[in-house]
Amino acid sequence: MEHTINEAQWQVLKKLLDAKGALSALQIVTDTGLDHPVVMGTLLYGQEQGWLTIVESSREELIPTEKAQSLLQQGLPERRILPLLQEKGRTAIREIAQLSQEKGIPFNEVIKWGSQRSWIQKDKGELEITPKGKGAVNHPDEDERALELAMKSGSVFLDELSEHAIDAERVKLLLSTRTEIAKIKSRKIRRVKLTESGETILKKNIKVTKERNLLTSDDITSGEWKNIRLRPYDVTLAAEQIFPAKIHPMQKIIQETRKAFLEMGFTEIVSPQVESAFWDFDALFQPQDHPARDMQDTFYLERPKSAQLPDEDIVERVKQTHENGWETGSTGWGYKWSHARARQVVLRTHTTATSIRAMAANPNPPQKVFCVGKVYRNEALSYKHLPEFFQVDGIIIDKDANLATLLGTLKEFYNKMGFKQVRFKPAFYPYTEPSADVIGYLESKDKWIELGGSGVFRPEVTLPFGCKVPVLAWGLGQERLAMIRFDINDIRELYWTDLDKIKEVSLCR
Amino acid sequence: MPVVAIGVKRLNDLLGKEYAMDTLVDALEQLGCDVEDVALLHLYQCPACQTPNDKLEQEDPPKRCDFCGYEDEQPFEKIGSDKVIRLDLLADRPDLFDAGGLSRALKGYLGLEQGLSQFSVKDSDISVEVDPALLEKDTYRPYIVCALVTMPPLDQNSLREVMRLQENLHWGIGRDRKLASIGVYDMDTLCNRIRYSTVDPVDFKFCPLGMPGIQMTPRQILEEHPKGMAYAHLMEPYKRYPILIDANDQVLAMPPIINSEETKCKIGSTRLFIDVTGITQDATVSSLDTLVSALIELGGRVETVEMKYPDRTIRTPDLASHSIDIGFEDAKQWLGLDFTPEEFMSYIRKMRLDVAPKGDMYEVHYPAFRTDIRHEVDIFEDLAIGYGFSRIPMKLVPNLTIGKAREEEILSQTVREIMTGLGFTEVMSLNLQSLERHFYKFRMGPGAEHVVVENPKTQEQKIARTHMMTGLLETFQKNRRKAVPQHIFELGNVIHIDAAAETGTHEYRHLGFGIIGPESGYAQGRAVLDALIRELDLKGEYKPADHPAFYPGRCAEVSNDSGLWARIGEIHPEVLNNFNLAHPIVLCELRLIQVI
Repeated sequence: MEHTINEAQWQVLKKLLDAKGALSALQIVTDTGLDHPVVMGTLLYGQEQGWLTIVESSREELIPTEKAQSLLQQGLPERRILPLLQEKGRTAIREIAQLSQEKGIPFNEVIKWGSQRSWIQKDKGELEITPKGKGAVNHPDEDERALELAMKSGSVFLDELSEHAIDAERVKLLLSTRTEIAKIKSRKIRRVKLTESGETILKKNIKVTKERNLLTSDDITSGEWKNIRLRPYDVTLAAEQIFPAKIHPMQKIIQETRKAFLEMGFTEIVSPQVESAFWDFDALFQPQDHPARDMQDTFYLERPKSAQLPDEDIVERVKQTHENGWETGSTGWGYKWSHARARQVVLRTHTTATSIRAMAANPNPPQKVFCVGKVYRNEALSYKHLPEFFQVDGIIIDKDANLATLLGTLKEFYNKMGFKQVRFKPAFYPYTEPSADVIGYLESKDKWIELGGSGVFRPEVTLPFGCKVPVLAWGLGQERLAMIRFDINDIRELYWTDLDKIKEVSLCR
Repeated sequence: MPVVAIGVKRLNDLLGKEYAMDTLVDALEQLGCDVEDVALLHLYQCPACQTPNDKLEQEDPPKRCDFCGYEDEQPFEKIGSDKVIRLDLLADRPDLFDAGGLSRALKGYLGLEQGLSQFSVKDSDISVEVDPALLEKDTYRPYIVCALVTMPPLDQNSLREVMRLQENLHWGIGRDRKLASIGVYDMDTLCNRIRYSTVDPVDFKFCPLGMPGIQMTPRQILEEHPKGMAYAHLMEPYKRYPILIDANDQVLAMPPIINSEETKCKIGSTRLFIDVTGITQDATVSSLDTLVSALIELGGRVETVEMKYPDRTIRTPDLASHSIDIGFEDAKQWLGLDFTPEEFMSYIRKMRLDVAPKGDMYEVHYPAFRTDIRHEVDIFEDLAIGYGFSRIPMKLVPNLTIGKAREEEILSQTVREIMTGLGFTEVMSLNLQSLERHFYKFRMGPGAEHVVVENPKTQEQKIARTHMMTGLLETFQKNRRKAVPQHIFELGNVIHIDAAAETGTHEYRHLGFGIIGPESGYAQGRAVLDALIRELDLKGEYKPADHPAFYPGRCAEVSNDSGLWARIGEIHPEVLNNFNLAHPIVLCELRLIQVI
C-alpha cells in the first residue's frame, strides 16, 4: 500500500531515515527549519502509523538571565564582602552593613546567600567569615562554575554538569530560588527513532505530494495544481472585521420611503424650500392670523423678502375663500385677506406646500403624487427637535378618494416600511376634514407610536384650484422612522455623523 | 402645546357612572383627544387667591401661583392628590378643554346621552354699559360680552377647574389674551350697572389680584405685578387702559391684564359674573359660549346680561344652536362608508348634535361653541368619529396610476452608487448655518447670493447653504480622532438668490466629496472626480481657479458647454486651522442638476 504524505512531512521523516538512529524532536526542528507544530504533527502522525517511536524524558535546563553576566563579573554580593570580612575579622553587623552600603553591596543579599553557602556566620550582633568562606575567596562555588558554563552556550542541562565535575544538586539548591540570576526549567525531550517497518515503508511505499496555502498563477495554468494539496483551514475561525462604504442611515429611510410610494404608483414631485406664505399657508386655508404663521414657529426671510403670487384669478379665489368661503360652501374666516402677507417668504414649514402646488398644477383626477423634502421649524436644536427635518408628503386626487381609501393607502405604506400593525385615531388639523393620526405598533418596544398626520383636504383647499374631487393628503416625519429603526434617542445624532457609527449600523437593519 | 389634567373621579362623577381608566382613555382617543399619559397630581393651595395649583408627583411643590402670580418663599401647602388623565389640548376644539366639555362628548360616545345638550337661559337684570372710548385707537378693545352663571358653591376643585379652563381658552381662542380675555368674578361682591370704560395709566388706582391691601396704578401693575409684566406688551399701543367697574366704582378688572382682589371668585362663591373683552367679535363670543357651556355641564345655570353698546343693545350669551345642511350621499362618498339613514343620524347624535331630514338634505344643529364648523365636511368628521375610526374599512383607490421618480433623485442615486463604489461613505448635514461657519471660516466674504433668515432663534440658523463645504469639513472635525484617511461625500440642495425667480431663489443638487489624510492631495481627488465624470458619461475641461478656501495653484474648475460645473482643490491650511484639522484635505464640489 502506498502512503501519501506532503513535502514537509517527508522532510521530517527523511531526516530520521538519514540519521539511522534516534534524534531529538528539537534537533529535527533545527535541522529542517520547519515550524515546531509541523514537525510535532508529523511525528505524531508517524507514531500513529507505527513508523516510529517517541520516547519522552524530562531534563532540567539552567538558563542564566540577561543580568547574570554582569552580576558574575562584578562578583555576587556574598563574594564581594569576603575580602572585607577576612581583613576585619569578627565585626559588628552594623559596621559591616555600613561599609557594605558604602561599597554598593546589597547587604541583605550578603546575609541571605553568605549564610546559605556557610561562608559567614552571625553571633551576638557580630559577623565573621567561616573557614569555608576563607577557602572560597579564590575558588568559585559550584553554581558559579555552572553559570559560567551555561553562559557560553546560553544554557546547560543539569545532567551534563557531572561531566565538568560540578555537583548538580548543589547548583539546584543555590539557584532554584535565585531567579534574578538564572532560571531552572524542566524540558520535555522527545527522542524519536524509526521502527523497522517504518524504515521499510519510508524507503519504498511513500508518495510525496505538494501542499500549499495558495496556488500561484503558474500552478493553475500549468495544471500543477493536480499535484498540489491545499491545506485545510479551520473554517470556523473569525476573520478580520471590515466594513463597506455606505449610504447614510437617514438616506436609507428616505430611499425606502421613495421606493414604497413609487411601487404604489405615485409620481415624485418637488417644490422650492424657500416658499411664499401663499403656498405654505394661504392655499391651505390657514387664516393669516393663525398662530401657526407666527414668527415663533416659522422662519421668515429677510432675503428674499417677497415672492410672486400665482395667476390673479387663483389668488382672488383663495382670497374670497378666506374672507367669505367663495363658492366652496364654507363660511370662510370672515377677515380681510392681505396680498402682502401672502407674498411673505418663509422656509417651508411642511411639504404639504409641495402637494398643494402639484394639485394646483394638475387638478384633474386621477393623480397620485409624493415628495420627500426638507421642512423647517423655528426651534432651537435639542435632543427632541431639529430646526430642519425631512417630511414625506403625498396626495391622491381621485373620485374614489375618501377616508377609507386614505387609511388603506397609509396602511399599505407603513406595512412596506416594516410596521405590521397600523391603526388610526381621529385628529384635528386645520386643512383636512376628517383628519387621522397614524399609529404603528413597534414590536421591538412593544408599544404603539404616532407616525404622522393625514386627512381629506377641506373643499376650501381644493375648489379654489379647480379640483372637484376629494383629495387625500398626509405629511409624515422621516427622522422619527430613522430613530426607531436605528435605535437613536437623540435626534441630533442623525446629523452629527460619527463615521464609526455609520460603519457599524447594518444596512438591512 | 398646553396639557390639561382631567381627574378620573371628577369625570366619572360628571358621567354618573364608574368607568375604568382604560375605558375612558380609549373613548377619549376615539374622540380625537391626544392622551399624553395617566398620572398622579398633587394639589397645593395658593395662600393669596386660595386656588389649588397642581403639580405632577415628580415635580417640586410650587412657590408661585399660576393663577394670580402670587409668590412666596415657602412652597404652598399640599391639600390633596388626584389621579388624572393628561391631554394635549386640541387648538381647534376648545369645547374639549375641560372635564365639563369632555364629559358632554363622552356621554354621547359612551351612549349615555344623545343629541344637543339642552340649555335653558333666563334673563338677568344685570347690564353693562360700553364707553365709546373703547372703540377709539387710544384704547382699542371694542368687544365685550358677559354672562351670569349660578353654580353649586365652588370648592377647591371646581374653582381650579374654572381658572384652568379660563387660562386654556386664553391660549386656544384668545391668542394669549390678545384677541380675547376672560374675567370671572363673584357677583355677590358687585353692584349692578357695570361700566366698561377707560382710565388713565397713572391717574387711577385699584387693588390687583394677588396683592391684598395694596393699591396700584395701571402703570405700576404693568411694571411690578407678575401678571402685569407678563402681558404689558398688549398695552403698548394704548394711551388709556380698559377698565371694568361697577356702580359703586369697585373695579372688577383691567382687561386683558388682571382682575381686582376684592371681586375675585373664591371657595364658596356661587354666582359668577363673567366678562370677555377682545378685539374680534368671533373670539369674544366663542370664548364666552365655550366657557358658559362648560359651566352648564358642571351644574351651572345661565342668565343673560344686557350689553349696552353706544349704537345697539344686545343680550349675551346667545346659546341658541346653529344649523347646517348636509347631504347623505355626500357623506357616504366623502368617508367611503356605507350606512343607512338611521345609522347616519345615530352617529351624528352620538356626537351631541341634532339632525333631522330636510327635503333631499339633512339639517344638523350644532351648539354655538362649535366654531370649528364652517362646512358640511366638518360634520362628516364628527360622523366618522361617531361611526368609530377603528371600524373604518381600509381600501385602496381602484384607479391605476404609474409611478415616476424625479430626475434629480435618479441622478443622485447613480452618484451615490458611484461614490460608495469608490469607497466614500455618505454623510448628511443641516442646510441652515451661521455666516461664520459658511463663509468666514472658509476665508470667504458673504456676498449677496444667499438666503437670509429674518428671525432665527440663534445665529446658527441665519442663512441657508450655498455650498457643501461646511458639512464635509465639520464631519472631518467631528471624526478627527479616528483613523485616516477618511473618504466622505454628501448630496444635497444648495440655494441661491435670483430676484427674477418665482420665490426669489434657485435650488441646485450638489455633490461634495472630500478625503482627509497625510497623503491626501489634488491628484487623489482628481482621480475620483475624473472617475465620476466618466461614469456619468460627461466630459469637462479643467482650468486653474482661484478660491479663498483653497491653496493658490492647487485649485481647478471643471466645466463644459452643457452645464457641468465642479470645483476641486486642496483646502487652504488656514481653513484647516479654523476647523481644528491636522491633515491635508482635497475637496470637490460638483453641481449635478438644477432642481428649482
